Amino acid sequence: MSLTRIRWMAMVLGILGVAGVLVLHWLVFFWVGTERTMGIVQRIFYVHVPSAWVTFLAFGITALCGAAYLWLRDERLDWAAQSAAEGGLVFGAIMLTSGPLWAAYAWGTPWTWEPRLTLTLLMWFVFVGYFLVRASAEDRQAGKRMAAVIGVLGALLIPLVHVSVLWFPSLHPQPVVLNVEEGPTLDADMLVTLMIGLLAFTLIFFSVFFLRYGLEHLRYQRALETRGQPRAA
Amino acid sequence: MTVYLRQVAAIVRKDLLLELRTGERLAAMGALTVLVAVLFHFAIDQGLVRMQLLAAGLIWITILFGGMLGMGRTFEMEREQGAIQGLLTSPVPLDGIYLAKVVSNFVLVTLIEVVAFAAYWLFFGFSYGNAPLLLTGVLGVATLGFVAVTTLFSAISAQTNMGQTLLPILIFPLLVPVVIFGVTATGRIFASRPVQEVEGSLYLLMAFTVVALTAGTILFRYVVEE
Repeated sequence: MSLTRIRWMAMVLGILGVAGVLVLHWLVFFWVGTERTMGIVQRIFYVHVPSAWVTFLAFGITALCGAAYLWLRDERLDWAAQSAAEGGLVFGAIMLTSGPLWAAYAWGTPWTWEPRLTLTLLMWFVFVGYFLVRASAEDRQAGKRMAAVIGVLGALLIPLVHVSVLWFPSLHPQPVVLNVEEGPTLDADMLVTLMIGLLAFTLIFFSVFFLRYGLEHLRYQRALETRGQPRAA
Repeated sequence: MTVYLRQVAAIVRKDLLLELRTGERLAAMGALTVLVAVLFHFAIDQGLVRMQLLAAGLIWITILFGGMLGMGRTFEMEREQGAIQGLLTSPVPLDGIYLAKVVSNFVLVTLIEVVAFAAYWLFFGFSYGNAPLLLTGVLGVATLGFVAVTTLFSAISAQTNMGQTLLPILIFPLLVPVVIFGVTATGRIFASRPVQEVEGSLYLLMAFTVVALTAGTILFRYVVEE
């Protein structure tokens, strides 16, 4: 893909995404019905769930592109993996801050060791490790490979972590205040709002993803240019 | 196959011989293990909590920290004076190097576990249940999984300028299953519960260890290639 096309796509997706987020907020504040038991705080849901979805999506892209990079050694795959991981880190942070804010009211406690909470927290730390390794690698190429290994290993072991934590509550009492799984099924207006949220966040993620990818593309071109030129006096 | 095993055995022998002669890693790991136990004595008010109930958790945390301290040096040692170059250019396949490091680390961590169990028995009089064979099996499988993950990541952290500082951030999120099932299984063995209550955890530890070891064997080459 040419640089102009990447930028063009990032811009279109970005505009659509921002418009979507504006619509989402209007719906959240003025249109969608208030949930019966949790009340007004339940509206955090429409930001929380889309950011969680994008985090998982980003993690998947990072792992897949990382594995493909180890196999094919195409620089573009590494750019994609890195761009997705950065998006994942940001949206993961949104998820991990919006979640406890909501839970503090809905469950009466900001954190429980519910499987999905634990899983996403650990996944976020895998992302952190991914960037720490990239940033501190003594050799850039080795850094890319090692980061890819972390992405792949994370994707392999995270399902096991998930299973482990699923088993864990059997040893401890379940959260008593409110259980997410037994929450009410969604009303039509809530479903529509959620869908718009999912769409808007996904668009914004891909916009940032392409911007970031384009930046790596530029850096690569710049590196080629400097290498091609004779050393200035 | 026999050549491969002999190559792996040669590296294991070299590592263990080096450890036997210098004792640097083992001394540090052993000292940390005992010191963590000492700190736990002062960190927990034994008038409020019965230590025996926490035994499995305390022992596993001690093993993780003690083991990590020594294993973090696995590849830093090799990089000093460029020994890693010799190792990588030798006719031993890269996965063989990884497996050899896993085996020698496994031996080190097992020794640390003996120290940990002895220290906790000495300081707190812990009772370890009445199924020594099952306990050994659980410890063996869990330790192998722990070592498989940590050895791979010590090869990664050795190639960064953060070194061992990075290691816990990389491995702890992935070692959660070892902690959950290791603690559950050993805790139940300590409490002399029936074997059926331990089986489930043991199988999941096995699954984790198989995945970690296979992934490590395949991925190691990408970490060390030049």
